[in-house]
Amino acid sequence: MIEFRHVSKTYPGSSRPVVNDLSFEVLEGEICVLVGPSGCGKTTSMRMVNRLIEPSEGEILINGEPNTKMSGTRLRRGIGYAIQQIGLFPHRTIADNIATVPQLLEWDKGRIAARVDELLELVGLHPEQYRDRYPAELSGGQQQRVGVARALAADPPIMLMDEPFGAVDPINRHRLQDEFLRIQGEIKKTIVFVTHDIDEAIKMGDRIAILKEGGTLAQYDTPENILATPNSEFVSSFVGADRVLKMLSLLRVADAELDPPNGNGALPRLREQMTLRDALSALIGSGVERGVVVSDTEDGVRGTLSIEAIQRLSSRAEAGQHGE
Amino acid sequence: MSSPAGGPPLAALQDLGPRLFDWGWVSNNLTDEIIPALQGHIFLSFVSVTIALLISLPTGILVSRYRKAYPPVTFVTGLLFSIPSLAAFALLVSLPGIGLGWQPVVIALVAYSLLVLIRNVVAGIDSVPEETKDAARGMGLTPRQILFKVELPLALPVIVAGVRIATVTIIGIATIGAYVGGGGLGDLIFTGISRNFPTRVIVGAVLATLLAIIADLLLLAVERYLRPWARERRA
Amino acid sequence: MGELFAVFGRDDFLSQLLVHVELSVVALLIGVAIAMPIALATFRSPFWAAVAINTGNIGRAVPSLAILALVFPLLGFGFTPSLVALTLLAIPPILINASTGLSQVNPQVIDAARGMGLSKGQILRGIQLPIAAPVIFAGIRTSAVQVVASATLATFVGGGGLGDLIVLGLQRNDPAVLVGGSLTIAVLAIITELTFGLLERTFTPKGLLVARKRRGK
Repeated sequence: MIEFRHVSKTYPGSSRPVVNDLSFEVLEGEICVLVGPSGCGKTTSMRMVNRLIEPSEGEILINGEPNTKMSGTRLRRGIGYAIQQIGLFPHRTIADNIATVPQLLEWDKGRIAARVDELLELVGLHPEQYRDRYPAELSGGQQQRVGVARALAADPPIMLMDEPFGAVDPINRHRLQDEFLRIQGEIKKTIVFVTHDIDEAIKMGDRIAILKEGGTLAQYDTPENILATPNSEFVSSFVGADRVLKMLSLLRVADAELDPPNGNGALPRLREQMTLRDALSALIGSGVERGVVVSDTEDGVRGTLSIEAIQRLSSRAEAGQHGE
Repeated sequence: MSSPAGGPPLAALQDLGPRLFDWGWVSNNLTDEIIPALQGHIFLSFVSVTIALLISLPTGILVSRYRKAYPPVTFVTGLLFSIPSLAAFALLVSLPGIGLGWQPVVIALVAYSLLVLIRNVVAGIDSVPEETKDAARGMGLTPRQILFKVELPLALPVIVAGVRIATVTIIGIATIGAYVGGGGLGDLIFTGISRNFPTRVIVGAVLATLLAIIADLLLLAVERYLRPWARERRA
Repeated sequence: MGELFAVFGRDDFLSQLLVHVELSVVALLIGVAIAMPIALATFRSPFWAAVAINTGNIGRAVPSLAILALVFPLLGFGFTPSLVALTLLAIPPILINASTGLSQVNPQVIDAARGMGLSKGQILRGIQLPIAAPVIFAGIRTSAVQVVASATLATFVGGGGLGDLIVLGLQRNDPAVLVGGSLTIAVLAIITELTFGLLERTFTPKGLLVARKRRGK
């Protein structure tokens, strides 16, 4: 749905490009995370989608059409935009902030008011309490939610988010991430999401684009594949030395090969929906090499899971370490 | 007038030249009138700023400690500030014991600058971070030591900003003081107007302007020097 | 005391008061009409904004009497030369405040606005001007008070105004006229300060007042 075709950006007066020959495609309804160290051009790339920055070379296509087909201003009204410092308009109420793009698009007042309330509910803020407040009265986390609501206001098919949860403390950030994933589950937008945090990328992304300093694409794939088979030294070190554990946190006990129950009631209990990483941690912690798997929904035992079975899954990832 | 080559407009301009500005007069009267006027003006301004500072510093320090006093002090000094200068001079002149001369001028100049100076002393002391004062207390400094070694030095940039505004204002208003006998560059301006002699007026006005601008830039440099980190100025 | 009140009944009192107000109002209006477009044209460029602000700062340092005195050799005596001088005096505070106010609007807010699809004009009208309004009006207030005070000096170049009464009082050694004129100007200055202060508060968007209160002002 969003396609980067050989996109490059070099600022005048500089010899090195900030973004270098970027080509990849973001599929409809997916969250594509751009992640990388500082100087990798991830924010610049995102801002080229809504033409806040224009590429020096190449083009960006949205639904097959170059994004230069209409004026930048019109283009941006159809793309949701949420940034790290949020940038709420301090002189307008929360309701007015959220209503900004719908007002630009000249929706009628009733429709706008209904939409504002709907979005406030969606991001977990009671409309009656918050719609007439001013940004200065809200906490950082609340402001960030309003920022997301504002980006969603005109129901754009595409959203650009630049570290949208960056300005809050880690606890609230996790909460916001979980809530956003829940919302995305309902509305299925096409999202380009920028972060410097690989863990956030793995958690949020359907697909991850890892960028290197100098703006080249290192690897573009699903989180599982990147963790299992990093294609270079750079990617594998960027992903982190605990790559295998990270991968295990994406898989659940239910995904693993279970052995039949052996009647041993003293074994630690592992729930089906637990991540394999948590299961491994529980087994190591209790000093045994096998646990009993129970279901969340029904009674009874589903089978047993051994550390060895978990290791077998990981050895696939070990093999991937020797990639190009 | 000699007949020019360019026609009537040029003639008017040439006419204007010597009538507007007579360099001859300037060189003749440099030491008699111009320099003394300049000196008098600088002296008047300097004395006024100094007296105003001597009043404002202790007052500002006191007010920053006893906040309740701040609104009435601001009110009174603000009231003084809002009386337009000529009116203030005139009122002071009509008081018994004060007549024409430099006295009403200095009194008025001091009164005008009190508002700005006290406000900036208070703001400067306020701008000292609580943590810094806390650290000083923790190290065992007495309140007096904290005032002189920590608060005042850190408040200095803001205080100097106030001195800058006060000085420029005083230099400006001192020109008007000449009308009630204060002397200074205003004398040149007023006598120039009454005798219809533009050169006098221009010399007086330009010198007063230059004096004000130079004082402004000098104190700005002092302010910037005391404040190495970049800060936008107060409007 | 009775003599004082007699002053207010004089013919020339009312006419000079009107001249004084007229000079001040017109000078302020023209000053705004000149300073605002310059500020709007320059605030986006760091270089030109700095030029505007520095020029304004130098302008502020110039003594009022000097400007009034300097129009005399060029334009002579009268209402118009006084008006020209007062207009020049009115410009700097407005120019400085408008330039600083507009350029100091939080860049993140502007980025968000741009990213959402507001045009440059919409950003200026809907975001930058409302947010900068308090600072701009503070500048207009400073300018207004300065103009009203300086209009007193118009008397020296034949512009009329309440300064005439003060000069008259000094020349004739008539304390009543002197005090009458002085008090009136003082009251006028205070009224100006209060009125424009009120105007400033009126044009401050509610959201900014709330934010100010939160920060403990």
